[in-house]
Amino acid sequence: MLRQDINELLTRTGPGTPMGELFRQYWIPACLAEELSENDCPPIRLKLLSERLIAFRDSHGRYGLIDEFCAHRGASLWFGRNEEGGLRCPYHGWKYDVTGQCVEVPSEADNSSFCQNVKLTAYPLVKIGDVLWTHMGDPAKRPPLPEFEFALVPPEQTYTSKRLQECNWLQAFEGGIDSSHVTWLHSGGLKSDPLFKGAKGNEYNQKDTKPFFEVVDSDGGLYVGARRNAEDGKYYWRITPWVMPSFTMVPPRGDHPIHGHFWIPIDDENCWVYSFDYHPVRALTAVERQAMIEGHGVHSENIPGTYRPVANRDNDYLMDREKQRTGEWYSGVKGIAIQDASVQESMGPIVDRTKERLVPADAGIIKARQKLRKAAIALRDHGITPPGVDPAHHRVRSAAVVLPHAQDFLDAVKDDVRVRPGVPISSV
Amino acid sequence: MAPRTPVDPGLPGSCARAATAAEARYRIQRPIAPARAPRIIALDDGAGEVVRGVAELEWATARFYTWRAAGALHGVSGGTATLDDELASADVVVMVATDDAGADAARTIGEACFLRGIMTAGLVIGTGINTGIATRGGAGETAGRAVAALRPYARVLLPGADVDDLVELLRALRA
Repeated sequence: MLRQDINELLTRTGPGTPMGELFRQYWIPACLAEELSENDCPPIRLKLLSERLIAFRDSHGRYGLIDEFCAHRGASLWFGRNEEGGLRCPYHGWKYDVTGQCVEVPSEADNSSFCQNVKLTAYPLVKIGDVLWTHMGDPAKRPPLPEFEFALVPPEQTYTSKRLQECNWLQAFEGGIDSSHVTWLHSGGLKSDPLFKGAKGNEYNQKDTKPFFEVVDSDGGLYVGARRNAEDGKYYWRITPWVMPSFTMVPPRGDHPIHGHFWIPIDDENCWVYSFDYHPVRALTAVERQAMIEGHGVHSENIPGTYRPVANRDNDYLMDREKQRTGEWYSGVKGIAIQDASVQESMGPIVDRTKERLVPADAGIIKARQKLRKAAIALRDHGITPPGVDPAHHRVRSAAVVLPHAQDFLDAVKDDVRVRPGVPISSV
Repeated sequence: MAPRTPVDPGLPGSCARAATAAEARYRIQRPIAPARAPRIIALDDGAGEVVRGVAELEWATARFYTWRAAGALHGVSGGTATLDDELASADVVVMVATDDAGADAARTIGEACFLRGIMTAGLVIGTGINTGIATRGGAGETAGRAVAALRPYARVLLPGADVDDLVELLRALRA
């Protein structure tokens, strides 16, 4: 359980809230680069951390992320004309550049300096990998750009998708550090999903449904180690890193690409789930990439032209009781991403954590909440920069290894859970 | 393939309606009883200090002990008990260590819990034991040995824990 005041603290991310300020210390995904695919393309509406924004790419290829509404009369700039180096409100022709600076007010005299005094709130928008990243905090404290491996490998080695999840970010994120649910909710996928099946590690997963857990602090967040029995005298370890505030990686399986997520609050009752797959040392195969596009693995099949999954709460996630009965899809819902979304959204927009009955196996979640709370309060009360801001903290990997019983996993995996360019992932 | 059951999202019980904030008001709001009957056992002298401090907070059903020998427990607020008696009414045991002096105790407790189907958790209080994957200072060698001693017997293990971790874990368990 969690006290209601702490639940409020952790789940509210609007401007001025402690957790909102925490998120504003980081570079976070704002949208996919494909959403602004060419110069002068249509602008897109974004809501991030409960702020309504417009993202656009101007005639020179510069990216902008600015207040959605025109400073003049408050019309949405989503209707704007993206042309000649700026975004022009169609109502009265006021025009803004990517910094939010008003550069034209047509009703003013030709030599008027009025527009120089009009500037919309704006945040940086930087392309790294398939993602456009933003920092919504104090520009004077802007950290170096993020260095997550999935975004830095060559384009042919990585794929990122996103989907809308209709619940608070925290309950969605908590699924990412909850290793014990995989054995149940996703058990069908281990046998059939093209991006999961065939790995030796899956056998250990399926044979030992009661893993042991170790939760270890890291500089940027946590490592959650899940230990299952392997052959005689050996354990199968799966190690999940969490980098604050909401980046996690799933331990790998065989030579499949490695994957993970970012959970980014849209507002307090919705979030974006960014899901990536990459391989550190080889290009994704055509078959793998096609599987990702089709929504296999951690990805989702979305309604064309949107980032809302085809299977969503309006159609009961296309529940199939026959597949549930046979175990092909353990919960009756197709696909790992939607299996997660369905149960997490069913908890309600913001789950009431005062009603929980946690168990020791939830130690990763308990520890993560504690770290988030402490970091938010330390930032609020003392201005202390939270873990995970430093790009050095981003250079982590998940890992899956088989170790002798006597071997200390903390020592054994210290290289496996760090990014080593050109070195394959440690996987079973 | 079996025919998919048709779903009408307009039905009152559909996910679209059931997962809204408005519907959340109708969730049953009965008070929740303490979920666990935890026993918290300090395995060494350093852990005893930690457990005594935590025991002073308000708890519902938790009982706090320090390990003596051969299954004898000493209550932090006085009195003694046997491990067998305490496990008879426990459903989770949290072992707390600061070094490996309690390795034998961890084995005794862990094996007794395994036989009875009782969940175990272990916290190793201290810093410096995560040096492989985190930059942590401190005298980690003894704590590292404590981790090794607890690892076989704690289904959930928190190396490098502090007092807050113990408090948070017990509160999360409604101890």
